[in-house]
Amino acid sequence: MSATDSPKTYQLVVPSVPDRVTEVDDFLESRLRDAGINEEIIADVAIAVTEIVNNAIDHGNAGDPNKMVRVSVVLAADVLKIEVTDEGGGFDPDAVASPLAEENLLREVGRGIFIVRHLMDTVVVDAGVGRGTTVRITKKLDPPVSS
Amino acid sequence: MKLSYREEAGVAILEPKGKIMGGPDATLLHDQLHEFIKQNKLKVVIDLSGVDWMNSTGLGILISGLTTLRNNKGELKLANVTEKIHSLLTITKLITVFDAHDSVEEALRSFQ
Repeated sequence: MSATDSPKTYQLVVPSVPDRVTEVDDFLESRLRDAGINEEIIADVAIAVTEIVNNAIDHGNAGDPNKMVRVSVVLAADVLKIEVTDEGGGFDPDAVASPLAEENLLREVGRGIFIVRHLMDTVVVDAGVGRGTTVRITKKLDPPVSS
Repeated sequence: MKLSYREEAGVAILEPKGKIMGGPDATLLHDQLHEFIKQNKLKVVIDLSGVDWMNSTGLGILISGLTTLRNNKGELKLANVTEKIHSLLTITKLITVFDAHDSVEEALRSFQ
């Protein structure tokens, strides 16, 4: 997309069923690829969003298929903004033990938000009792090439 | 993700392809690793050359395979770790717990 184009917005809502994470990935990757985003960034964003959606399905919504996960994407020329919202009981990212601590290295879980923070430019977790969790991430995009 | 496997020199070589992100992928790879253990195939190489990327679910599956094999006196080695996955293994310090090789052949030789 060019610098003068209006930002594009996309939304997807899926029930909290583990298999639906692949649908979110297909939805996201196809739109980013259509917009000409480079594959390295697509992979980073896909890893981050699938992390957040897995957390929303498994932990936020506790696998309840009646609870939804909402994914909103705003794609501008120079930045990608994504929000993932669940209907769960809230989540405190500071309560997650460091995955780098020696005693946690062989834990099978607990690295998701750490990886998201590494791959994205900004990560904000907005959670409160009774209003679910919204995770907002941004990734800077390469400036569009002038034609 | 698609999953196939073969055996060479008494070693089971798992060949996942695509992306490992959770959902059905997690079950498929986890179950195959545990099936090897049931069959007493305790030397396993995971050839990651065909894996585009994985998230923490994929890393968790690798750790599950590693610890379960170790607990059964087996060994898990990685081969052909792509740049993207190597980066994740590095930032999570998991590169220090896995035995990673540049090729399947090198991984096979390391069992001898």
